[in-house]
Amino acid sequence: MIVETKHLIKKFPVGKSFFTALNDINIHIDKGEFLGLVGPSGSGKTTLLNIIGSLDVPTEGNAHVLGKSIKDLSAKESAILRNRHIGFIFQTYNLFPVYSVYENVEFALLLQKKTASERKTAVMQALEWVGLTDKAKARPNAISGGECQRVAIARAMVKNPELVIADEPTANLDKANSFHILDTMKKLNKELSTTFIFATHDEKVMKFLDRIIYLEDGKVINDETIKTESL
Amino acid sequence: MFKFIYNGIIRDINRSLLPIIVVTLGVFFTIFLSGWIQGVLFDMIEINANFTNGHVKVMTQAYAENESQIPNDLAIIGVEELMDSIEKDYPEMEWVSRIQFGGLLDVPDKNGETRAQGAAVAKAIDFSNEKEIERLNIRKALVKDNNSRLPKKSGEILISDDFAKRFHVNIRDEVSIIGSTMYGSMMFSNYIVCGTLRFGNQLLDKGAAIVDIADARRYLEMEDASSEIFGYFKEGEYNNENALKIKNTFTHKYTKDDDEYSPTMKTLTDDQNLGVYLSMTENMSAIMVSVLIFILSIVLWNTGLIGTMRRYSEFGVRLALGEQKKDIYKTLIYEAIIIGLIGSITGTVLGLIGVYVLQENGLDISGMMKNITMMMPTVFKAKLTPNLFYIGFIPGLLAMILGNALAGRAIFKRNTAKLFKELEV
Ligand SMILES: Nc1ncnc2c1ncn2[C@@H]1O[C@H](COP(=O)(O)OP(=O)(O)OP(=O)(O)O)[C@@H](O)[C@H]1O
Ligand SMILES: [Mg+2]
Repeated sequence: MIVETKHLIKKFPVGKSFFTALNDINIHIDKGEFLGLVGPSGSGKTTLLNIIGSLDVPTEGNAHVLGKSIKDLSAKESAILRNRHIGFIFQTYNLFPVYSVYENVEFALLLQKKTASERKTAVMQALEWVGLTDKAKARPNAISGGECQRVAIARAMVKNPELVIADEPTANLDKANSFHILDTMKKLNKELSTTFIFATHDEKVMKFLDRIIYLEDGKVINDETIKTESL
Repeated sequence: MFKFIYNGIIRDINRSLLPIIVVTLGVFFTIFLSGWIQGVLFDMIEINANFTNGHVKVMTQAYAENESQIPNDLAIIGVEELMDSIEKDYPEMEWVSRIQFGGLLDVPDKNGETRAQGAAVAKAIDFSNEKEIERLNIRKALVKDNNSRLPKKSGEILISDDFAKRFHVNIRDEVSIIGSTMYGSMMFSNYIVCGTLRFGNQLLDKGAAIVDIADARRYLEMEDASSEIFGYFKEGEYNNENALKIKNTFTHKYTKDDDEYSPTMKTLTDDQNLGVYLSMTENMSAIMVSVLIFILSIVLWNTGLIGTMRRYSEFGVRLALGEQKKDIYKTLIYEAIIIGLIGSITGTVLGLIGVYVLQENGLDISGMMKNITMMMPTVFKAKLTPNLFYIGFIPGLLAMILGNALAGRAIFKRNTAKLFKELEV
């Protein structure tokens, strides 16, 4: 079990009252799933990802991620959980502009205090996964958006996390690039059994998913497991 | 991680350039101004020591009380014996006699009638003592274009170039000084002008004359007398601690409360004006350094804030990737240290070069000092002293660290729950 939520409720203060962004979410996500949270804007996808990614805490109920009780984690413990075990991919790649592709990927390992040779092996491996070994020395502004997102995938994958969380990873990409990165992630999901959780509106993404959890107004309205067509 | 930080600084000009410039300029000006102030102070001390106060000065108690009137009737009598004695007591000092006397400098025409007359203060020194000539900077002050030279024989006089120009006195002209002897009778002394002097100092250049002390003694009836005995450290530089020690033992041995003609000793810092300057300069340095830290910190705080705003998403990603807030804060401080070091070192090097150039070349401000008759140099020089190596460096570095420590606190206000939203744009 990678993720489990029990009666998870998230409320945000709005003026004097509260807005319930997540309302009694109960889900289980197993190792190796390739799963999407789908729903209209404002349905609570990002809010749920935040809690699973230990960036935020539930208001009521709880979530267990990789065996850790999210609501009980200190800031330090949640930082360590993210650092060691969870990879993040953002809609706008958010690479460090002054560092090379190599250094961007390496950064996650610097935080783990890995030795230089350990870092080198892991970074080159990650760049190979995403097909960017030849761009290792390039700066983000010298490569395309699709390549940037592949660097972001390499950055998330380099530490070999159990779980990768991606919020609208294809929102800024064209069709071909979207396919390419999803293909890459799917391959990694198969080869390394890394669990992927997406939040998405994107039809193109949905085709790749093994399982889709539909959210609406902070509630799970449907949870379906799909047989993906292999591409 | 160090390499990561270092590369960030080197490659991200926006991160480093402005703070480096700010720190460099701040440090440069601190050092430059301090060096300048020290140079002026040092020159002032030198001039005072060389011309008026010595490192220590011996006079009779009565003379000391009315020193400004140069009352030669109260001069020390029995100078030779006293000199022998203090030379034995204080072998670390060089002792020299000087006499000052006031009078009318009279320029006669061909017939011996007075052509021009002006008040003058004459200084009588030992021209056979090369050190005295150096101390009073006479060789340099000799005006070059009229064949001025030092007195070679008895009866020769050096007069200020100002005075000579005003009264059209030429080299080899005869002049007289009319005054009174030590015992109060009329003194009429004749000299041949052998040179004119320009010290570049208003007080010294105004109506001054220098004669040999042997001549003066003869005319003033001061054969074994001297109004002032100057003591100079043989090592060269003034040392207040030692000067005070010497003063103490001297007073104990020679000064007698019941005899106003017994000798007394003054040190250079007993001069009230000089003491005030000294403490003023010290305070000014302290104030300058504090102001520097204060202003620089505020400026750098602001550049730091701009920096954390500009790097908002970078810090967001780093938080998401699991770097702790305190660790990000630490890297900001390391960055500040590196940038502060670069700026402080650059500023210090430039400042020291600036001070060195000013020390070697000087800055002539005699034009602005026309009406000032203080014992002050009119060529401003700087002085390179050891404290200049850290007086700007440390404040520059501290200000950079302080400014960024304040600006970096913004990190702690970041809310990780908002990261995905913030990073969407
Ligand atoms: N920090 C917050 N304070 C107040 N309300 C919030 C906050 N974060 C989210 N919400 C509200 O919670 C609801 C769910 O937001 P969330 O961002 O999870 O939606 P989403 O499904 O990700 O939408 P989108 O597809 O537009 O990204 C929205 O109505 C939003 O306004
Ligand atoms: Mg969202």
